[in-house]
Amino acid sequence: MAAVIKTINLTKRYGSLVALSNLNLEIQEGDCFGFIGPNGAGKTTTIKVLATLLQPTWGEARICDMVVGFQSRQIRPLIGYVPDSFGAYEDMVVQEYLEFFAAAYGIHGTNRTKIVNDVLELTDLGHKRDTLVDSLSRGMKQRLSIARVLVHDPKVLLLDEPAGNLDPRARIEMRELLKELRRMGKTILISSHILPELADLCNTVGIIEQGELLYSGPVADILRRVKSGRILQVAVSSNSQLAQGLLSGDPRVAGITSLDGMLKVVVNEDVQDVSFLAEMLVKNGFRVTMLKEEEVNLETAFMRLTKGVVQ
Amino acid sequence: MIAVARDIFWRLIPANPILLRIISMAGKRRRDMLIRCGYLGLLCLWVIFMLLAASGQTKLDDLAKSSAGIFEKISYVQLILVALLAPVFTAGAITQEGDSQTYDILLATPLSNGQIVLGSLLSRVFFVIALLLSGVPIFAITQIFGGVGLDNILYSFGIAAGTAFVTGAIAMALATFRIGTRRTIFGFYLFIVLYMVGLVLLDSVPFLQITGGAVYSNESSHISWFTGINPFLALRASMGDPSYLPPLAADLPAELRFWPIGWYLTSPHTFYITATFVLGMALTIPSVVFLRRVAQSTLSVRSWVLLKLRIIASATTHKPRYVWHNPIAWREAKTKASAARMTWMRYALIAAGLAGAIWTLTRFAHVEMPDKYIARGAFNTDQGMVTILTSDRSIEQTYAPGLKITLDGKAIRMSDLDGRYGVKDYTVASGPRKDVTTLNLVNPKRGMSLKEAQTYLLWMLLLEIAVVLIVITNVAASTVTREKEDGSLDLLLSSPITSRYYLWGKLRGLLSLALPLNLVPVASIFVFVVYDVFRMIAEGGQFQWVVFPEAIVVVPLILMTLTALGAVVGIEMSLRCRRTMSAVMISVAIVVGVVGIFGLIGNAIAGTTSWNWAPLVIAAFSPITVVSVIAAPAQFGGRVFDEGGADLMLGARIGMFIGSLISSGIYGLIIWAIYKSMVKNFDMTIRRQSR
Repeated sequence: MAAVIKTINLTKRYGSLVALSNLNLEIQEGDCFGFIGPNGAGKTTTIKVLATLLQPTWGEARICDMVVGFQSRQIRPLIGYVPDSFGAYEDMVVQEYLEFFAAAYGIHGTNRTKIVNDVLELTDLGHKRDTLVDSLSRGMKQRLSIARVLVHDPKVLLLDEPAGNLDPRARIEMRELLKELRRMGKTILISSHILPELADLCNTVGIIEQGELLYSGPVADILRRVKSGRILQVAVSSNSQLAQGLLSGDPRVAGITSLDGMLKVVVNEDVQDVSFLAEMLVKNGFRVTMLKEEEVNLETAFMRLTKGVVQ
Repeated sequence: MIAVARDIFWRLIPANPILLRIISMAGKRRRDMLIRCGYLGLLCLWVIFMLLAASGQTKLDDLAKSSAGIFEKISYVQLILVALLAPVFTAGAITQEGDSQTYDILLATPLSNGQIVLGSLLSRVFFVIALLLSGVPIFAITQIFGGVGLDNILYSFGIAAGTAFVTGAIAMALATFRIGTRRTIFGFYLFIVLYMVGLVLLDSVPFLQITGGAVYSNESSHISWFTGINPFLALRASMGDPSYLPPLAADLPAELRFWPIGWYLTSPHTFYITATFVLGMALTIPSVVFLRRVAQSTLSVRSWVLLKLRIIASATTHKPRYVWHNPIAWREAKTKASAARMTWMRYALIAAGLAGAIWTLTRFAHVEMPDKYIARGAFNTDQGMVTILTSDRSIEQTYAPGLKITLDGKAIRMSDLDGRYGVKDYTVASGPRKDVTTLNLVNPKRGMSLKEAQTYLLWMLLLEIAVVLIVITNVAASTVTREKEDGSLDLLLSSPITSRYYLWGKLRGLLSLALPLNLVPVASIFVFVVYDVFRMIAEGGQFQWVVFPEAIVVVPLILMTLTALGAVVGIEMSLRCRRTMSAVMISVAIVVGVVGIFGLIGNAIAGTTSWNWAPLVIAAFSPITVVSVIAAPAQFGGRVFDEGGADLMLGARIGMFIGSLISSGIYGLIIWAIYKSMVKNFDMTIRRQSR
């Protein structure tokens, strides 16, 4: 499959500040790529470069094999960019707003009306067509932003924090909308701080910190990568320190920590059956109240891979 | 009681945390320091220059007079600077509701409404007041030689401080009642400038002056009905200028002596100072009372008023409009033009312009014929008869072969008479034939003389042109910066829209927006030209145009050129500047400066004593001069139009017409060059500002 988005040693400096440093990214057609990183890590800069709004200081960014900066004019009809803030058009109503951008993409006449109506329906904004954009709620505005980038049917969607500051319902609606777009075959690059949702939506992720890409690849891979051995959470009714001493003596246990009476047991990677933990404890008179394997999710991966350094 | 009062007043001002923060920060900002240095430097230079100019004087009286002159001039400089700076520093208050992060936080604190409003108001006025106080030592120099009374100094500072205070209070009231948006800032600034300049101009209109023996013992002196409400006029009245002395109470007619009219007319400067402080307080008190109540409401006062007046149907919805092929042009022309404020302003300008033109025309068209008059064909040369008409009969009288005819005191030939003239008197020979030997004629008296009509029309045209130019420059200057500020520019730049398409759309949209506004002066001229054509047919030979008919071609051409110039300069600055405020200020200063300076030079060239038409061709490069000469040729067209014959005048008109065509072409080329340069450098300019 061809890489729709590709960056090669992409570097962007603002004076002495290095926003991006040799970023190498590859996103395949139809992928939904979650871009994760602390504030100031370089996510927005990367998206802005890909949206042809910024010129790289060094390196190259390609969209559908066309180079940003050299072939920006050809790239622009292929992308749909949603910034982290909603561009204010206080004098327009929803339909005018969409028609305005449709006209900006060279869509005119009856075709424009049809497309705008279709997009309003897809994004469930039809009942708001006469409403002033400025009076919409934040969730509606974000949905309108998505509607805006759909009027010209782009191949690539660049979404910068589309779910930021949305209430739970609006976030869920946004996520469903993006899933629908993915089903439609769009290649999506989305930056967000809401990691569980990214895990649900994206098939690949990239983690960036201080302008450097720490990881890029499938979600399953990153979870596997951060998972060093199996971690089990064990709780006993009393004498947890004794239980800790007991379990730490077993050669299959690689390490054990205790927090508020809860034991976190790391077993060696080659151990498949962990029932020996319960057996040992019960045999020694402990009452086991809980035994469960700790889940490694995107949040865990993010916390383990990043240092929390903000530029 | 004392404790309560102390508590209230101590908290309101001296211990107001908002005010304290601003005062403790004052002087630390580089920009403030530069403005302060510039202001004081300008005052110092002015004083040094004036002192050097007066250095040859040795008599104490002369020195005192020089000192008074210096004081007068620096008072004006001070007032001009305050008038310019006060709106700049206070206008920011208008948008504080929009940029409400800090505003909302303040409202959520235990600070009282009074502390917030007064703190915000005084902190905004503080800089201007500090600027005024920093100039006190310079004013003190004028005291060395005497000649300036302490009361004059107090009046000068009082007028400047009152202006700053009332400007701040208006901005605060607009902010508190959520009447203003970002775009209101310039409207506010424009209103202040137009108010100050407009009333000074209206002060020179004789109709609005308070003058004459009934009021003044010194008949050469006058004030106007606006003196007490304009800082510059009030300052002039306080300076003891013999040509601008307020009347004494005893000189006023009895019906004008009552309070407050008597006070307003006899002491306009003290009235101004008091009125500005009272008005400032009157605006501040409702702000204090309603601050939190208004902040809690979901509907702004502006929307509420517009809804009630049915200017808008709903605060949040309207029927979608058709979007043009070029959406950028559509946005500039339609969404801004249809905003309620703009629509209101546009209709107000059109109505005021047309009403002014029709009023002037009606006054001019009103002819009061004397009891006796002659009409076209009054002279029967075959029979040697003249027919003198009255309202109910005609008198036929023979006239002597050497009949002497005068028109308004000047000798005139019979053949030159063509139209209706009043008969002032005539003499009859004593012989049996009773031939008329002398016939003194007068032009019929109009409700407004030709010169007055031309002056009124010219001021109306200049005011309308100034408003259109400033409005378009303002809209143009904010057009890209606002998109940069709110992030919508990024949306457009990531679309396939090219820089050429974008900028052309902006220019086209702005010109469409300006079109109805430009029609106001054109319509005013058209009304007069149509009337003049009928008058020419009726009056024939001695007819004089109120406005030359070529104005129908020249004025729209000039207006479109000026509008396009204002638009490109505005867009250029909007591209270069990061902030709307600086883009607007710079572009308005450039446009007004260039047009004003060209106007001064052009009027100086056009007003030469040359009989040649060539200076008028050169003067035509100043659009203001062309309008001035076309509307009031005798006043601004120099000797050719004042004293020249019909042939010379025709030559000069043709010269001016050709000159204005050439100059419009050259301006067009300049506009095109700026536009091309913007297109070429667009990406570079925008990219340099990217963060």
